[in-house]
Amino acid sequence: MNRNYKRQQETEPPRWAERLLTRITAPHIRDEVLGDLYELFQRRVLRYGYTKAHLLYVLEMLLLLHPRLWRQQARSAQLYTKPTEYSLPNPMAMLSNYGKIAFRKLIRHKSYTLINVVSLSLGIACAILIFTLIKYHLSFDTFHADQDRIYRIYTELHTDKVTYSTGVPNPMGEAFRKGYSVAEKVGRIAFLKKRLVTLSPEKKFEEDVAFADPDFLDIFNFPLIRGNPQTALQDRNTALITERIAKQYFGDEDPIGKLLHIDESLVVKITGILQNLPATTDFRSEIYVPFGNLQDHSPWLVEKDWWMGFNKEMQCFIRLKPGVSAAMVDTKILPAITNKYYDKEYAKVFRFKLQPLSDVHFNPKLRGYTEKKNLWTFGLIGLFLIVTACVNFINLATAQALGRSREIGVRKALGSERGALFWQFITETTLIAGVAMIIALGLAYLVLPFVNQWFEIKLVLNPLTDAYLPAFLLVLLLIVVFCSGAYPGLILARFQPVLALKGKLSQRAVGGFSLRKSLVVTQFAISQLLIIGTLIITNQLRYSQQADMGFRKDAMIILPIPDNKKSKISTLGAQLSEMSSVENVTFFDTPPATESIGSTPIRFDSRPKAEDFTISVKSADHQYIPTFSIPILAGRNVNPSDTIREYLLNETAVKALRLASLQDVIGKTATINDQPGTIVGVMKDFHYKSFHAAIEPLCLTTRSEVYGNCGVNVNPANLGPTLASIERAWKATYPSAIFTYRFMDEDIERFYKLDNMLLRLIQAFAGIAIFVGCLGLYGLVSFMAAQKTKEIGVRKVLGASTSSILWLFGKEFIRLLLIAFVLAAPLAWWVMNEWLANFVYRIEPGAGIFVLAVLITVIVALLTVGFQSMKAALMNPIKTLRTE
Amino acid sequence: MKGTQLGEFEEIVLLTIARLYDDAYGVAVLEELSERLERPMSLGVVHRTMQRLEEKGLVHSRFSEPIAERGGRSKRLFTVTMAGEQALREARRIRNELWDGIPKTAFDHLT
Repeated sequence: MNRNYKRQQETEPPRWAERLLTRITAPHIRDEVLGDLYELFQRRVLRYGYTKAHLLYVLEMLLLLHPRLWRQQARSAQLYTKPTEYSLPNPMAMLSNYGKIAFRKLIRHKSYTLINVVSLSLGIACAILIFTLIKYHLSFDTFHADQDRIYRIYTELHTDKVTYSTGVPNPMGEAFRKGYSVAEKVGRIAFLKKRLVTLSPEKKFEEDVAFADPDFLDIFNFPLIRGNPQTALQDRNTALITERIAKQYFGDEDPIGKLLHIDESLVVKITGILQNLPATTDFRSEIYVPFGNLQDHSPWLVEKDWWMGFNKEMQCFIRLKPGVSAAMVDTKILPAITNKYYDKEYAKVFRFKLQPLSDVHFNPKLRGYTEKKNLWTFGLIGLFLIVTACVNFINLATAQALGRSREIGVRKALGSERGALFWQFITETTLIAGVAMIIALGLAYLVLPFVNQWFEIKLVLNPLTDAYLPAFLLVLLLIVVFCSGAYPGLILARFQPVLALKGKLSQRAVGGFSLRKSLVVTQFAISQLLIIGTLIITNQLRYSQQADMGFRKDAMIILPIPDNKKSKISTLGAQLSEMSSVENVTFFDTPPATESIGSTPIRFDSRPKAEDFTISVKSADHQYIPTFSIPILAGRNVNPSDTIREYLLNETAVKALRLASLQDVIGKTATINDQPGTIVGVMKDFHYKSFHAAIEPLCLTTRSEVYGNCGVNVNPANLGPTLASIERAWKATYPSAIFTYRFMDEDIERFYKLDNMLLRLIQAFAGIAIFVGCLGLYGLVSFMAAQKTKEIGVRKVLGASTSSILWLFGKEFIRLLLIAFVLAAPLAWWVMNEWLANFVYRIEPGAGIFVLAVLITVIVALLTVGFQSMKAALMNPIKTLRTE
Repeated sequence: MKGTQLGEFEEIVLLTIARLYDDAYGVAVLEELSERLERPMSLGVVHRTMQRLEEKGLVHSRFSEPIAERGGRSKRLFTVTMAGEQALREARRIRNELWDGIPKTAFDHLT
């Protein structure tokens, strides 16, 4: 029995293979294929034996796997009487035919075309701008040769928390250069902002000046177009300036050999001209002076080889030798420097690291311009806008598809293949997208100057010089065409010709309403996301800018002073105080709120060790407290005297000292900046940084040698004349300097500059997203109304009111909108919480914002839908019904 | 509208079908071909080629009665159509013309 079974097995081909083939083979060739294989198998069993025949069977089966195996019955054979004259269709002829028909179609359906072109071009224009913006930021300082080997040494201060500075102690450059051979070049540089540059008594300018080692220009690619690169920045009292500055200062004269006075104290001779700086560099100094001259200009920066202090302007750049890894320098060499130059306790505090050049633009901890995160957010928004535009396209196309069913029926009946219809549709889409893209480019060009103004950047849009832009446009076009064209194309091409011709296709045949619904939901969700974002950012910024910062900021004018000699300060102070419209005058180093404030260790009373926190120091005269109306909570204000050291702490500092009452600090000594002094009072906490940062320990003391600003509290009633008289007094004291002033509120606004830009951009994008979404809705409702004219007519004849018909249209969209809200709200909440986390003092996004967002979209959507549905509802039923 | 040129392998298959006359079906063509071309050949290739020939209208096919040796399945028997004959003649004509056009001395230098 068993043997018999086996024998039987040996003459049969493998059952599984037969079964598999039966399943996948098209019915009209199934018998033939299986029969052939069977016959072959029998012959091979006789010839080679069972095993090999079995193997060959499976092999033959695998080689049969081909679309032809499962393709349905081929079209009936066509007879060619003259086989040599088989002609191939001319693809170009077909293409031009597609184009012609597409063009006619688009002209015929004007509103459809217009809606699509407008929404696509808005979306694409935004995408182009965002692309340019992202590319601009990503290209910062990428033009330097070997830029991946260039690093900046930065400082990390490890106290109770970690603080970061772009600067390093003055001796770092030399120590690194002399002690270690991993770097090819080491360049120290001090960037000094807004120095007074004088050509002659009449010609004065304010310019950023950089004091740099000769190596700096070797590390960075700022080429000299005149002058000797070998000796540039070698000799003292020389200067390099850019072409732009040369043109501005000297016009057509030859600038070489001319003299510049920097801050009146330093005279330099121009020995070289640098090529103009590219827009994409963070190193914007246009005047370079040898590093050695720093001694004459700002001795306090390089006074002594001091490892204990550093300044953010005093930076050190290196170019590593090829093959040297930054990680090695971070883990071996820089710690070695710390251990060599610091005692044990300070070696724990001062740590140095390398920052790659590519990080300089993007690291907010180290004064980078922006975070990459922001760029990707913009990228995402751009994608959203494109999606919204494509959604419009798909919705309108599928809505319109029913109307075109007859056309497609005829084409199919006349022998158009499915592929041909699909390509016909793609051609239409390409035509629309192409036109939209040209318009979008034009739009982008028009808007670019405004964007540049907003962001204070120099974006350039030139497809001829920038190879990325055309590539991006091409990719974008392809994506748009296939995203928006493929689905409707497939739907249309699938129509059954008979049904289509009879006009019996139902809505279901065009993908149903459900797809369109989900697309509309997507659109709404994107709009709501952007609206919620806009609302939250607006609220937070309003909160930051209007909130009580703990000091008086209105009607405060700040004047930078070029020279803080006691005699000058007191003359100016006296003259200003005499004016009737001036309430208070104070001199100080930094205004109450500032981004740049350092911190230093503090030792309290007779405690043996320094405290485990650091304290920020503000230097100001005794008028500071009354001028800015900062309340004193305990003790008294500091004395006018500059010689007796007195400290005024803030509440947070007292808390950090872990004292029970504010009174406990009064009269005790504290050592701050190595200087012992008496604590005379406690001031109320105020926000001395932006709302991005928490209030930390702060101390105020008089030190006239560092004063750099004068604060004037004016009566806002007569601002013009007051400013004029302030300028007169100022000119009398500082005849050679340039008079500048700013209002305190502007300063505070500047803290939120980036946030403000973000806000404006998101506002614009939200507006565009809503507009594009509404365009789509408008189109969709028009088609719905056109399809439902008869239904509406019947309803009206049967006595339906106008309002109930309006509701017929409205309820559907409100439902979709609410679904969209349910999707968008949690996402928006999460994203915005991430953003708000940047602020230590922030608003809590309440339900109100979300409700407002929904209301805005509902109202806008209903206004859009309303017009069309109103038209439909008011139409005379006789007109619509008579056509039957 | 498919390309309707006669490929080289198609030509050989078509010739084989013509030669086998009334018994041209998958296995027979396969055996004949692998014998003549002296290389192993898969059923799939032959099969697809014959399908293509049929789509081009160069062969015509009919089904035989079910046959026991084939596990009770029928054969698809192919015959050459008029168009097929014409295509073959055309191909032969071109080849002959080409052969005739080869100068006597063309291959001389090869020996």
